[in-house]
Amino acid sequence: MGQHQFEIAYVFEYFYRLLPSLKVTLLIVGSSIGLGTIVGLLVALPQLYRIPVLRRLSQLYVSFFRGTPILIQLFLFYYGVPEVLKLVYVDLTRTPALFFVILTYSLHSGAYIAEVIRGAVSAVDRGQVEAAYAVGMNGFQAFSRIVLPQALSISIPVFGNIVIGNLKDTSLAFTLGILDITGKAQTMGTLSQRFIEIYISLAALYFIISFALQKLFDRLEKRLLRHEPAAAKDSLVKISFLRKDVAASKWRRKEAQL
Amino acid sequence: MIKLSQIKKSYGRQQVLHGIDLTVGKGDVVAILGPSGSGKTTLLRCINYLERPSDGEITIDGFTVHCKRPTKADIHRLRKQSAMVFQQYNLFRHKTALENVMEGLVVVHKQPKEQARLRSAELLEKVGLGDKLDAYPSQLSGGQQQRVGIARALALGPKVILFDEPTSSLDPELVGEVLSVIRRIAKEGITMIIVTHEMSFAQDVASHVVFMDHGTIVEQGEPNEIFRAPKEERTKQFLKRFAPESAYSI
Repeated sequence: MGQHQFEIAYVFEYFYRLLPSLKVTLLIVGSSIGLGTIVGLLVALPQLYRIPVLRRLSQLYVSFFRGTPILIQLFLFYYGVPEVLKLVYVDLTRTPALFFVILTYSLHSGAYIAEVIRGAVSAVDRGQVEAAYAVGMNGFQAFSRIVLPQALSISIPVFGNIVIGNLKDTSLAFTLGILDITGKAQTMGTLSQRFIEIYISLAALYFIISFALQKLFDRLEKRLLRHEPAAAKDSLVKISFLRKDVAASKWRRKEAQL
Repeated sequence: MIKLSQIKKSYGRQQVLHGIDLTVGKGDVVAILGPSGSGKTTLLRCINYLERPSDGEITIDGFTVHCKRPTKADIHRLRKQSAMVFQQYNLFRHKTALENVMEGLVVVHKQPKEQARLRSAELLEKVGLGDKLDAYPSQLSGGQQQRVGIARALALGPKVILFDEPTSSLDPELVGEVLSVIRRIAKEGITMIIVTHEMSFAQDVASHVVFMDHGTIVEQGEPNEIFRAPKEERTKQFLKRFAPESAYSI
């Protein structure tokens, strides 16, 4: 790409010039995770409480957003929603593209967050709810004081992955003309033809933010899991392996007896 | 004080409780014995509606719930009358020992935090855990966790404490500390219903023994009657397994 000789100095220059566009990227990530959490909770609740019809609908919702590429979803919402609303005489042709981008990413991450919430809530031991009822709490108190805090700490690592995935997904918003860091990099590339330098600084920028988010969530997890023994904190994965070992050896023993 | 009448419970087609009648007086310590699958734990869990009976009536201290069509408010009010100690302790994992005991006082009984803290510390002291106030359940042994569970139940000042096999998941050497705490609070005149497999403990602590099998009460009475001279064949058969123990104690 480009007719220029590669020059490392440009990497630093472009990195610096990309920084102002970072606020657009972070705006998309922040608002779509925020709205997505609300959507996720609303979508997870009918499944957790087994509400007949809504439960099916929310399953459908989740499988649509998990089963189709985010790029197609962006196009569908940006081009499709105004067309549909035109039928009921609502004019969205002047609505900024950013609105549709945030809408799509909110609904998209909402589907993933719903799955996380569902998994985490059902991972909390049933005995915890029983104990809460036994001390005289009502359903809401038991959920908000006992189940939710524990589910939250269980879900933090996966939630962190979703936020980082969402950050990287926002790089597709440039297809609708959004000037986030990727959109800005595209424009600068077309003007200067120094694509390599620009993409290196763009990749570095994404990496730094992802890394910072990762550290942030690690810290949050440690804080929220302070009530679990130190060994468990280091690696929950290790424990699940151990459990498998125990189960396997039990099984082998049984087999040997036969 | 507590009156269960015609409590029935079935899971699908299988009926596990066939109309249980049981009366417990104030200050009584009732031990429910029986083989596994006899419905004793289910009966206990019906008393605070962790299991929903299919039919019957539960009365605690003058408040009656009709189990055919209970309202949410009925169930909630019934649960506030009792407290439970679980086989698996079920302490709130994200809270310290002190917070576990305080939780019900603050959230349900709306006590000011300071008052609840003092009361809870006092109760933990009483079960011998005065030095573990700030420990999380994961940092406590099974016996210690269960004693926190007992303190949590006591804190609520319930009309009755329900014990669901409180020592069944403990290491043998930790059983003693929990039983001695239960024995101590039994002497204070708190009404208790205990489902247990500890025969000598039941004989020693209970004022009334109930033997259940196949979802019915086979026999009930004073511990001496039941353990020394059971009338029903099924009770004799069940207690025979524990005979060597009683032979030594005589």
